Amino acid sequence: MRAETLKGHLDGILLAVLEPGPRHGYAIMEALRIRSGGHVDLPTGTVYPALHRLERAGLIQATWSAVGGRRRRIYQLTPAGRRALDTERSTWRDFSTAVTALLQPASPAVSSP
Amino acid sequence: MSRQRPPEPGAGPAVEGYLAEVKARLPGPARTRTGIVAELRSGLLDATDAHRSAGLPPPQAALAAIHEFGDPVQVAVGFRAEIAANLARRVAVTLLVTGPLVGFLWIAAAAASHLGISLAPPWPWTGLSPGVSVSIYLVAVAAGVTAWAAILGIATTGRLTRWLPARPRRAPTAAAVAGVRCG
Repeated sequence: MRAETLKGHLDGILLAVLEPGPRHGYAIMEALRIRSGGHVDLPTGTVYPALHRLERAGLIQATWSAVGGRRRRIYQLTPAGRRALDTERSTWRDFSTAVTALLQPASPAVSSP
Repeated sequence: MSRQRPPEPGAGPAVEGYLAEVKARLPGPARTRTGIVAELRSGLLDATDAHRSAGLPPPQAALAAIHEFGDPVQVAVGFRAEIAANLARRVAVTLLVTGPLVGFLWIAAAAASHLGISLAPPWPWTGLSPGVSVSIYLVAVAAGVTAWAAILGIATTGRLTRWLPARPRRAPTAAAVAGVRCG
């Protein structure tokens, strides 16, 4: 799935990936691939600016941490981020319901005698 | 004194070359750019480890990690907007904090120079000449514009972005307006 297709939904997807617990940047990318069944495969480098944008908005927070001798920037949801994720889910449900209904093949029109 | 961190062990020439390409295209303070590069480096090393675990030899694993991260120009472009927004926010906050003081000093200096009053209170504010009054009025207007531009800059670059339509490109403009007005 291309980045253009995900445009407008990447923030919510990143928040959802962080919902189970803190992750560093590459682990977030791996979780995106696994949870999407391999359909979401963005250039990994483009995910980092998106994470910084969410951090600036106060939806996630980041801390440097040394794990296994390697320093990593670990991201986790803030309370505002959890609320934003709830809103994203609700908005997506409404949107997908409406679009699914619109994209279904229309039933043949009943011709009047 | 440089606070730049040394490259982590294991970051080979291919990874360092990629990081140098990204860093060369990043604007902003050295500390910010160094932090971004350090984060990308740890991610590239994680990616390299993942490809090695999948069976690739180290040189190919590093190249696969670089390919996975994508075009360094695009990565840098993604960060440029973030860096600009952060800088604009810092400028706006600084102006909002220091603006009232600067405005007060301008008014005090204008009044003192035209009236020959002392810089210590009590100040005789009555009887200002029309020229001084216009000057004070202009300074007040400039201070107002500065304050609004600074507030706009803060609103479009900080936590309020979650409620506002994303307008990161306006933030540097607002900060620039505030800076010019204040200057």
